[in-house]
Amino acid sequence: MIEFVNVSKKYNHEVTALENINLKIEKGEFVFLVGPSGSGKTTFLKLMIKEEEATSGKILIDSKDITKIKKKEIPFLRRKFGFVFQDFRLLYDRTVAENIIFALRVVEASEREIKNQLQTSLEMVGLKGKENFYPNQLSGGEQQRVALARAIATKPPIIIADEPTGNLDPVTAEGIFKTLEEINSRGTTVIVVTHAKDVVDKMNKRVIALKEGKIIKDDMQGGY
Amino acid sequence: MGTKMYLVKEGYDNLRKHSSKTFSTMLIICATMTILGVFIILFQNVNVNVATMRQEQGLQAFIEDSATDDEIDYMRDEINNIPGVKEITYLDKESAFEDAKEQFKDQEYFLEGLDKLQIFPASFVVKFSDIEKSESVREAVEKIDGIYKVKYNSTTIDAVSSISKVVNIFLLVVGAVMLVISVFIISNTIKLAVYSNKREILIMRYIGATNRFIKTPFILEGAIMGVLSAAISFMLISIGYVVAYSKLPQVGSSLGVFGFVPYTSLWYIILIAYIVLGLFIGVFGSSVSIRKYLKV
Repeated sequence: MIEFVNVSKKYNHEVTALENINLKIEKGEFVFLVGPSGSGKTTFLKLMIKEEEATSGKILIDSKDITKIKKKEIPFLRRKFGFVFQDFRLLYDRTVAENIIFALRVVEASEREIKNQLQTSLEMVGLKGKENFYPNQLSGGEQQRVALARAIATKPPIIIADEPTGNLDPVTAEGIFKTLEEINSRGTTVIVVTHAKDVVDKMNKRVIALKEGKIIKDDMQGGY
Repeated sequence: MGTKMYLVKEGYDNLRKHSSKTFSTMLIICATMTILGVFIILFQNVNVNVATMRQEQGLQAFIEDSATDDEIDYMRDEINNIPGVKEITYLDKESAFEDAKEQFKDQEYFLEGLDKLQIFPASFVVKFSDIEKSESVREAVEKIDGIYKVKYNSTTIDAVSSISKVVNIFLLVVGAVMLVISVFIISNTIKLAVYSNKREILIMRYIGATNRFIKTPFILEGAIMGVLSAAISFMLISIGYVVAYSKLPQVGSSLGVFGFVPYTSLWYIILIAYIVLGLFIGVFGSSVSIRKYLKV
């Protein structure tokens, strides 16, 4: 599903963010991406959605080399990914339902799909009954669930969560990871960037560790 | 609600979200459009008056005293056959004297004791169907036997033509300045709209919005502002002209005097100009900002 072949990324021809990365993530996998700040995790994510261009190497998404696709195709590449950010990135002047519908509008879903997917994703993240709340009326954990619901509403095959629990307390964080695991169990590939050592150790999933732009560890059932 | 309707709604919501900015933008565009409208009216009026004057202009061909009635008839036929001649009137010595008397109404002593038949020759007054042919008509008339002099009031025609040229240039300059101002104002407003929607746009990009999807509401926002301003300006200028027209001299009401044309022969020119301009400045103005600040 996702394959990096000899991928390097240098900024301004000097700073090396990623060096000769080779890895493969299969459909339906749950992967933790760990490493200290500046190790290249964010660059890794940005390369996948073509927010950054690889300096060299090939990146295959669904066996298509995305380093060669045209600018016009980028939106359609991004529709394969559902994003969850540390700061939630919700629209605070819109209700929970409106935030989710917003994503469905963007991918130009039909009225029926919008109706169905709104309900399905709200149920999935456990926010049924809160659709008319504004984000500010919700707790941090609930806000991240709204972001999760928005990410899965468009039915992307891959979910990318960039430090999804960075702003949350451990108990709430555990709930978010449980939901991510549930989403994964339905066949969605999940890639989580995190510093939550305890959770990584407990969940027994594949762990890829980056340091100074290189993969230093890739365990199928690893710890932090 | 399909995607298209959704984008229209987003454009409309953008307008409402910063309604005070929308209002001031439209106020300025209305002002520039109304000024432009005044110049279009002026332009049209001068052109209509120029056309009328040109029709009224003609030349006077004086006939030798020795000419017989048959010769005069022959000359009339000759002149009638010249291309560019609209009509021809014969002015005999008697009526020429009457005309002169009319002209010197208060100073009739000028004419006292004059042999009217010697002073005032008979003539043809020739009117043009096409002002462009005035020179060739003049030359042709001069060549006719029995015509000894052709008087042709070219200074008036020149003056009138140059007025219309100046007005045309002025209209172009005013139009260009107005365009630049309006495009700038709209693009500035759209720039602010883009900034205030930065968060939405960022999220949209991650979700996979196409450029068209991101751009359309802003283009619509600009277009709505342009067309709405055009509609308001059209109403203002229409009411203004109709009211003013009733108090102004009307074209053709007295010969040789500048007169105004009725609004019925003007409104569609202004309406078309406004709609085209409103759409253009709206769409172009917002496109400028989108290209610059949206980087799509």
